[in-house]
Amino acid sequence: MENSFFSNLKCRECGKLYPKQAIHVCDFDFGPLEAVYDYEAIRGKLTRQLIESRPQSMWRYRELLPIDGEPTVGRQVGFTPLVKADRLAKALGIRELYIKNDTVNYPTLSFKDRVVSVALSRARELGFEVVACASTGNLANSVAANAASAGLKSYVLIPADLEQGKVLGSLVYGTQVVAIHGAYDQVNRLCSEIAGKYGWGFVNVNLRPYYAEGSKTMGFEIAEQLGWRLPQHTVIPMASGSLLTKIHKAYKEFIDLGLVEKTPFSVHGAQATGCSPISTSLKRGSDLVKPVAKPQTIAKSLAIGTPADGYYAIHSMNQTGGSADDCSDEEIIEGIRLLAEHEGIFAETAGGVTVGCAKKLIASGKIPADSSAVLCITGNGLKTQEALLNQCGAPRVINPSLREFEDQIYQPDLAAAF
Amino acid sequence: MAEEKTRLWLMFPARLITRPIIWELAKKFEVVTNIRQASITDEVGLLSLSFQGERSEIKAAIAWLEEMGVKVEPVEINTIEG
Ligand SMILES: Cc1ncc(COP(=O)(O)O)c(C=O)c1O
Ligand SMILES: [Zn+2]
Repeated sequence: MENSFFSNLKCRECGKLYPKQAIHVCDFDFGPLEAVYDYEAIRGKLTRQLIESRPQSMWRYRELLPIDGEPTVGRQVGFTPLVKADRLAKALGIRELYIKNDTVNYPTLSFKDRVVSVALSRARELGFEVVACASTGNLANSVAANAASAGLKSYVLIPADLEQGKVLGSLVYGTQVVAIHGAYDQVNRLCSEIAGKYGWGFVNVNLRPYYAEGSKTMGFEIAEQLGWRLPQHTVIPMASGSLLTKIHKAYKEFIDLGLVEKTPFSVHGAQATGCSPISTSLKRGSDLVKPVAKPQTIAKSLAIGTPADGYYAIHSMNQTGGSADDCSDEEIIEGIRLLAEHEGIFAETAGGVTVGCAKKLIASGKIPADSSAVLCITGNGLKTQEALLNQCGAPRVINPSLREFEDQIYQPDLAAAF
Repeated sequence: MAEEKTRLWLMFPARLITRPIIWELAKKFEVVTNIRQASITDEVGLLSLSFQGERSEIKAAIAWLEEMGVKVEPVEINTIEG
């Protein structure tokens, strides 16, 4: 099926239209390009029933994704569980809470599989044979895995100090992993030079307008899984700020297309204190994002000092009455443990940031206690185990003897007394 | 020697905002500058522009800006995520 709905790329600054090629910056003002669709044609055609009749993957919303033909990479990605989190709701002091659980996204256990399946499907349509990315880890894992399954050659560029799980989680797919010494800015710099020089499909440089749209599917799924309605509050982790702006866009598109009722919603951003350029400027009441030269946080997946979409993320939060907060390394670990101990979900450090910031936003009343919220948990804890080293205690070691068990572990008499 | 064109974001700290840096740059280096966007507050100045010239001249101009405390980034950097 030819998708006649994805029409152009469009500059977010001046609105100039561009053809659907591997370009990402406006020639005039260097503004970012974004995919636009023929909403008139989609309206009425894309119904709840049609969507529900399709396989449970992110591609059930394909009219709102920027490729021409059928998806060829990552066809099984998405439609992760939306978990009603009553125990965590109680712990955080809110009436109703849901976890959008992308820790189990297919195939590499983070929301990045959503963006990569769009980027690589489009890369194939555009004829690329080599794909690449700059990454804080999760994106690298996803590009490596999805490129391998699509038979594309891949290069992933990462900062040299990433978690072992994320490095190995790229290497295993046979990709070229390039670890770069120096601050994350240096990775970016090199990437932009390589992207300019070679004809590769850089998923987050020249394929970015396609890539970024994939994040919308997290918002679409939340609305559908809530029974075709928008959540009052959504808490979203921010690195570049792209995911937050795209969830905002997803909610607006569903309203425009009549797929959900227009009810009030707020999007809130979460960052780590050691790299919080977006939340800091939102709190200051500014939309000018001051770069953080040396990010210092265990939430390495969110450690982007120069957030590309910071400005737009701030506008999304302001427009929807949302807010932002940041939390320390200790609060991140507490957040990971809260989620694990109350809901049985093991998230990576970015998930700890989301839970930690949600807790603060609820405590301060920015998310009212009598409201309903969704937390976007975007990556799996098995990838960032270093962060929890010596933080969760250790197993108690005994000999295989019932007496030792009863002496040291479990005293039935004491237990009965409770 | 090949001509090159580079698209850049410059960020000026407050102390440099009142200095005519782009004019100084044009006098010092064989680089054609073309400004596309600018935003200036009392805290920081942001400028997007293109530099056209020989690679060595462009590199020297960027080094001079950085030495003065101007942050120089290729525009592509502003598109990179995690
Ligand atoms: C687990 C996780 N969550 C959230 C993000 C934030 O994404 P964005 O750059 O779209 O703000 C990232 C980015 O790398 C990530 O890896
Ligand atoms: Zn433009």
